[in-house]
Amino acid sequence: MKTSCLVNIFFVGVALTLGSAGCIHKPDDHITILGDANKPPGPVAPPVTGGGGTPGPEPGVPVPPEIGVTGTNVGDIPFDTNSPWTNVFANHTEDAATLKADTVYFDFDSSTIKTSEDKKLEDVAAFLKGHKADALRVEGNCDERGTERYNLALGERRALAVREYLANLGVDPRQIATVSYGALRPAVKGHDEAAWSKNRRGDFIVLVPK
Amino acid sequence: MKTSPKIILALLCGCALTGLAQPIQRIVIPKTNNLTQLIPISVIGFSGEADSVLKFDLSVLGLELAAPDKADYLVSGTEEGRLAGRLQQAGAGGGTIFARIYSSGTTRAQAHAFADDIAKEIRDTAPIFHSRIAFVHNMGANLELFVSDFDGHDAVQITHDGSLVATPAWSPGGRQLFYTSWKTGYTQIIEHEAATGKRSVFAGYGGGNFNPVVSPDGARVAMILSKGGSPNLYVSDSNGGNLQQLTHERDEASSPTWSPDGREICYVVRSGRAGLRKIGVGGGESAPLRTGILGNLTSPDWSPDGKSIIFTSGSVNFMLWVVPAAGGEAEQLVAGEDPCWAPNSRTVIFTRRVNNNKILSLLDVPTKHVKDVVQISGSCSQPAWAR
Repeated sequence: MKTSCLVNIFFVGVALTLGSAGCIHKPDDHITILGDANKPPGPVAPPVTGGGGTPGPEPGVPVPPEIGVTGTNVGDIPFDTNSPWTNVFANHTEDAATLKADTVYFDFDSSTIKTSEDKKLEDVAAFLKGHKADALRVEGNCDERGTERYNLALGERRALAVREYLANLGVDPRQIATVSYGALRPAVKGHDEAAWSKNRRGDFIVLVPK
Repeated sequence: MKTSPKIILALLCGCALTGLAQPIQRIVIPKTNNLTQLIPISVIGFSGEADSVLKFDLSVLGLELAAPDKADYLVSGTEEGRLAGRLQQAGAGGGTIFARIYSSGTTRAQAHAFADDIAKEIRDTAPIFHSRIAFVHNMGANLELFVSDFDGHDAVQITHDGSLVATPAWSPGGRQLFYTSWKTGYTQIIEHEAATGKRSVFAGYGGGNFNPVVSPDGARVAMILSKGGSPNLYVSDSNGGNLQQLTHERDEASSPTWSPDGREICYVVRSGRAGLRKIGVGGGESAPLRTGILGNLTSPDWSPDGKSIIFTSGSVNFMLWVVPAAGGEAEQLVAGEDPCWAPNSRTVIFTRRVNNNKILSLLDVPTKHVKDVVQISGSCSQPAWAR
């Protein structure tokens, strides 16, 4: 049922045949209108510093950590990808309530952990150190400003910044999973800074083994 | 033997349309028929679906409906089970450019085929009116993937996961769809066979797995993975093997798009401000794509002819821009975001925000003419044109 439906979905119209597409009175002096190739080039802009955004680092120079984590920055922390990731926390119960008050907030277009959020993250770190059998899912979210593809990556970077911060406080990063919702899961409906400031956030879901 | 009745019919209809003794006309295209100008065209003789499909399609290519005495071209004909159509130059002594019979298929399909032939003559563009799009539809709490005709007609729901999906992308020829799924609670890249509906996990590493884009030859897939601790651009073979990390951004890379020759990828990096960069797939350093403008530049899409990259600027009031693929001065187009080129490298489908709702629209890039697709209720976004 499902299969045949899909077959129809994708191939309707492919079988169209143009019977008798014979050309009557086709003029032999047909002048072809010029295509895009002949469009005159636009004026060449002078070089603009940072025209494609702020220039990146020089080739070959190691990229310095820029996330404003207080204390020693541990940089990128790879995930353990030896086992199929999605099975790692499959047998866990999700608890969104315990660390609800510790949701951290971000500035616009930033994944920097603000000093105002330090206390919350210390609270989260203390909880995880006291519940070593539990795991944590950090959910990175964005406000609606920014295109959807961009927000997917920004939300992931925010969740990763939180993960790095917690690791920096001594939490085992293998306890921490990340997911980005981009701007798909706003905490507050609305289209002003009051809503946006509540939507640029990292939520904490405690994963408890069943 | 089998075709002769058709040929006779075609000849009869053709003669009826063009006049029996009419000599072959010398067609002179006025010099004012600039690529970037709307061209007035008149459509007469059709009714119902054939009429509406023809008018919609021609409008998509910047051919503006006008009264016969104001038009540069006249489109005429009838639809009675088969479509008999003629395109001619307007004005005194205007000659017939072509007259054809379209039989078989639905009325919609016949009208689309006629419109493609008109487009070929007037705009010199490849046919697009039988092509299809995929897009994300907001179903309240969930997002599901839909596929429809390019004009939004015949929309069909493809996923029924009761979850979120994002960033659909077609493999060449529309054989597969790749997309981001949250079905497991984490992001995974799903490969979805068009013919069978068979789905498999293409990438499900630790961290984020999203924004897959298939190379134009179908052999490789670019994607954003954060398994290394930061969202970066990776490329694998079409079976998921031979995974290579292309970027090493401390902030995140996002939104990849392939050059038509598969040698380069244009993508977005947030480094202070979001900007566009290009990197060779075979290795080498990335370099900024010069656009001549500042601001958050995101969602690039490389045209199939390789000449242009269209992208989005802004964070609230989004704007589409197009820039030569080698870099240069970007040209402002219209308000909108997340553009995707049609196979003709002229038409673009994109998302517009109207009253905080997202709708899909078609843009004729040279004329900047915008035409909304048939909308289904609710928000639609992230259109991907099969090409």
